[in-house]
Amino acid sequence: MILNYLAYAVAAWVFLWGLYGIVTSKNLVHQVVCVAVLQTSTYVLLLAVGFKVGGTAPVFADIPVGTAVVDPLVQALMLTDIVVEATIMALLLSMVVKSNEVAGTVDPEELRVLTG
Amino acid sequence: MSIVPIIPLPVAVPLIVAAFLALTGKVIGRRASNTLAIATAACNIVLTLLILRGVWTQPQVYWFGNWWPRSNGVALGICFSIDAIGAALAVLTAVLTTAGLVFSWRIFEETENHFQPLMLIFMAAMCGFSYTGDLFNLFVFFELMSVCAFALCGLKTLEPAPLQGAFNFAIVNTVGAFMIVSGIGVLYARTGALNFAQLGLSLGNHADALMLFAFLLLTVGYLTKAAIVPFHFWLADAHAVAPSPVCVLLSGVMVELGIYAVARLYWTVFQSAMAPHTRELREILLIMAAICALVGGLMCYAEHHLKRLLAFSTIAHAGLMLAGVALLTSKALGGFIIYVLSHGAIKGGLFLCAGIVLHRLQRIGEDHLHGCGRGMWATAALFIVGGLGLAGIMPFGTLFGESMISDAAKEFHQSWFDYIFIFTEILTAGAVLRASFRIFFGWGEPAPIDKSSQVEERPETKESYQTTPVLMFLPAAALVLAGIAVCAIPQLRSTAESAAQVFTNQGAYTHTVLENAATIAPPKAPLEPLTSSVVRSSIAGLLALLLALASVFGTKPVLDLARRLEIGSPVLRQLHSGHPGDYVAWLTFGTACLGGFFVWFLR
Repeated sequence: MILNYLAYAVAAWVFLWGLYGIVTSKNLVHQVVCVAVLQTSTYVLLLAVGFKVGGTAPVFADIPVGTAVVDPLVQALMLTDIVVEATIMALLLSMVVKSNEVAGTVDPEELRVLTG
Repeated sequence: MSIVPIIPLPVAVPLIVAAFLALTGKVIGRRASNTLAIATAACNIVLTLLILRGVWTQPQVYWFGNWWPRSNGVALGICFSIDAIGAALAVLTAVLTTAGLVFSWRIFEETENHFQPLMLIFMAAMCGFSYTGDLFNLFVFFELMSVCAFALCGLKTLEPAPLQGAFNFAIVNTVGAFMIVSGIGVLYARTGALNFAQLGLSLGNHADALMLFAFLLLTVGYLTKAAIVPFHFWLADAHAVAPSPVCVLLSGVMVELGIYAVARLYWTVFQSAMAPHTRELREILLIMAAICALVGGLMCYAEHHLKRLLAFSTIAHAGLMLAGVALLTSKALGGFIIYVLSHGAIKGGLFLCAGIVLHRLQRIGEDHLHGCGRGMWATAALFIVGGLGLAGIMPFGTLFGESMISDAAKEFHQSWFDYIFIFTEILTAGAVLRASFRIFFGWGEPAPIDKSSQVEERPETKESYQTTPVLMFLPAAALVLAGIAVCAIPQLRSTAESAAQVFTNQGAYTHTVLENAATIAPPKAPLEPLTSSVVRSSIAGLLALLLALASVFGTKPVLDLARRLEIGSPVLRQLHSGHPGDYVAWLTFGTACLGGFFVWFLR
């Protein structure tokens, strides 16, 4: 019981620290990593949603139908989530590399060209 | 013939062609790959139109892999469930993509940047987004279009400004996307379903804090994409620097799809659970819409970077469109869809005009270009007509959308929103007119210099053109005219309203999806006369013209007001700091505020 709530609390905790990191970051690489931290919270959340105390793997080849199993759907969601976010991380990091080449800085404060 | 078998094609065909182009683009050369891309996009117009005709009266459902709900009525598969509103948005997507690709013929000289495959995937993702009937599928298409948009936005990676714009865009939207995933997780935990109809059925009338939390996360996520204040900061940076044909898609349809997603989720999933609190929710969303329209309008008039000016105008109009959904009634939603279609076409045309200006004159700042555009009469005419279209004057579709939204607002005693409409239209149309008077006619004094228009944008083409190429002018003109042609749909307003009635009927939607039942066509409602809206929008158009003239020529007392509007509020300008951290801080603040309001008013 307590384990379930703990997982949700961890998800919220990681989410908020990720946000804090993005807001206060002074380095684009660090900022992208903070986005990755924020993303981790969604894994924890999805795991917590699908978890069942005493549940086993949802493969009914060698266990009788009716056995308690964990939710097989959330891992599919998580896998999609991972794939999608891996793409975004790669894209963001490539932009950081370009920014270092073009503007010679990885500080979001110095990259500001368009303001107001 | 049933329309159902061709339903997946508008998504599948562009994806396949995009993969082919990404592989063979270098071998077959620029001309061939551009031709193939344009042909695919044009083919998508035909397909989406066929689908629109097929779902005109009866929504259709396509189950992937034949996983339709069996006798127990539980949806396990993934479906596309299409009604007239979703189908119309897909048509808009296809039309804008085709226009953008035709325009790009003279822009990109080489194929190394994967422009065409990205545009096609972008189009496929947006079509899928408007067709899907599954919550997680909606997220996947959301991310697919986001990734394409980030990449397209940062296409010109040799300058810092596009990098900054694309980076801010990507960071803020990705944070929004995580909110959506968390919302999906919470909602799935609550219901065990992902299909919209199944979700709505499982939630039923039972509302609780968990459901409200999920609604908050999903709304914030999609409103981030829709650039509603205070989630809007990324848009001005991104749209100002993206290549013009990409801006057409970003401003013309992607932003609107964010609002569409909120509408879709509300009416298919949360409607009956939230029924006791409709009034409070309406007021909260309407106030958000009003703030968004005001901020966007004020910033738009204070801007002199031509594309950034149009970007802020998109924010302002996104506020007006949100009002169409915020009123939570089918009449306003009918107005929303008309407004989206005509605004998308007009704004697309205006962005292409800005692209033409950039190519001919090599710069984009109104203050630099004073009088430089003399002789570009055709572009000037298009720009002015498009600007008046933003004011919603008579032949434009925006007028019909606006009249339905404001009629619905009156029914709920919210007629104060009319003033927001007028104010926003004066500012956004006035800004476009002012810019065209200065650039194309060289009237009056040069514009005051502001910081963002100092940013040099390198033109997309290598050499400047002495005349406007036909392939650039044609799509721009076609889009502006399409903003008028929307009115050619017979009985536009009552058609839109019956489509919206189908959209908002949760029970019928559930039956159609889960039991494949036919929807009973709603009776056509009688509509109020247009006269008051025509008068109001004519006044708005006239005032916009006067404001623009006052900015350009102005005598003392009038000039003061116009000048002050043109210089803009320094506080508001400072808020748009260009720092992604600040933007995410605002996103967090906005979420907290909205959550606070939800807890306070929707208990």
